[in-house]
Amino acid sequence: MLNVRDVNVFYGEFQALDSISLKIEKGQTVIVVGPNGAGKSTLLQTLAGLQKPRLGSIEFDGRRTDQMEAYQVVEHGISLVPEGGRVFPHLSVLDNLKVGSYNKAARSQADTWLPRIFELFPILAQRKKQRAGSLSGGERQMLAIARSLMAQPKLIMLDEPSLGLAPLVVNMVFEFVQTLKQEGYAILLVEQNANKALKVADYAYLIESGKLVFEGSSEDFDKNPYIKTAYLGL
Amino acid sequence: MFDQIVMALLNGILLGGVLALLAFGLNLIFGVVKIIHMAYGQFVMLGFYFIYYFYSSWSVPLIPAMAMGIVAMALIGVLTQLLIINPLLNAPRLNQLLALASLIIVVENLAQVIWGADYRGIPLSMPIIQFGDIYVRSSFLLAFGGAILTLLLLYLFLNRTYLGLGIRAVAQDLDMAKAVGINPKVIYILTLATGGALTGLVAAFFVPIYTVHPHFGASFTLMAFVIVVFGGMGNLLGGFISAFIIGIVTSVTAVLSSAEAANILALALFIGMMMVRPQGLLGTES
Repeated sequence: MLNVRDVNVFYGEFQALDSISLKIEKGQTVIVVGPNGAGKSTLLQTLAGLQKPRLGSIEFDGRRTDQMEAYQVVEHGISLVPEGGRVFPHLSVLDNLKVGSYNKAARSQADTWLPRIFELFPILAQRKKQRAGSLSGGERQMLAIARSLMAQPKLIMLDEPSLGLAPLVVNMVFEFVQTLKQEGYAILLVEQNANKALKVADYAYLIESGKLVFEGSSEDFDKNPYIKTAYLGL
Repeated sequence: MFDQIVMALLNGILLGGVLALLAFGLNLIFGVVKIIHMAYGQFVMLGFYFIYYFYSSWSVPLIPAMAMGIVAMALIGVLTQLLIINPLLNAPRLNQLLALASLIIVVENLAQVIWGADYRGIPLSMPIIQFGDIYVRSSFLLAFGGAILTLLLLYLFLNRTYLGLGIRAVAQDLDMAKAVGINPKVIYILTLATGGALTGLVAAFFVPIYTVHPHFGASFTLMAFVIVVFGGMGNLLGGFISAFIIGIVTSVTAVLSSAEAANILALALFIGMMMVRPQGLLGTES
């Protein structure tokens, strides 16, 4: 469904991504692990259309998306949950959800989707009139995930959803990822918390300094001695 | 004396309403496009001339002439976005500021070339309304009522429609707004069209009150700017409140002392605010 081929991204002279290729099939959960500054966020931003690759191609659901604007990429079915959630702090919880369904296809279904979202995230229903800026870190992350669902995506990309959250909340976030998986969404998850992420993954990639250094199934990752010591802390 | 102060207070509130509308467009443009529209008052002047032109040269009746003026200014707003702001979106702040400041010179001189330096106006006699010992000009009352109604409609537009939601989202976090599916170019054009239409509307409210000349806009640019910065740049509620503060302070001081003293006090108040709270009344520190 998603086919990324030899993507190179630069910030000025600095090369953030060096010939990255990866694939995601329908309904698959794929994770990208790697240290801070490896280019994981850049990868998601590029797939979301917020950064343009200098070389390489991105194909999603039968169409090239690498030259699309971000708002067109969302319409085409890829939605992003950025690092920290990035909810709109001065909008109410309800408005944050509504703005998630801004693209034309999603807009007409917003009213039927809201009750489902509130069923999935009851805490958001309780706080729907509150300003998003007043939510706790975990609630913001949930709102960000819920907002991305409102866009009616086929692929959801999550950037470090567990970052800065208390261990109990981290477990909850991963349960939601599990739920999304059961609902049939394709998921691209970027995580430093490799242990937990590998448990939900069908396939995994390791990025270091903008380069792809290893890929395989969760078992392959578990068996690799380098990854074991460097990323899994075993 | 007491009646005079009550009257000044009332006039200050009426003036505050119109100033709030004037400042709203400038504030909205800054909040959304992150651009300071230096020629905002000059656009009011241009709107006034358009209405005058449609009315006196094309013999369009006054109300339709005002509507045409508003539409013309909305179009000028769109052109400003397309021709001046869009090419400079990623330019350094100073370049953006200079480009829009030079628009002041262009618009003022254009007005002078087309309509000359004479004072122009549409003679209208609007009644003065009396409540006991208090006298209020109906033209002021009308402008105030129209301004408040417009602000209410704008509030509903921003809070109840998808486009309004898009505008607020772009103002808060541009990249995230793109990521949820908003095309910022459309939002920018809409914002400048709204801002432009508002200059036309303010001009329409000014028609029964003032006469226009090529430098008519300068004081309104300054006034709008002071109000917006005083209230906290980009904060619409802050701008609304500060418009009434500035309106009341200038009106009351003008009665107690003189119009010059009123302007000095208003600007002193502004400078004081900048020293105590540089982010303005309701602005957030950045």
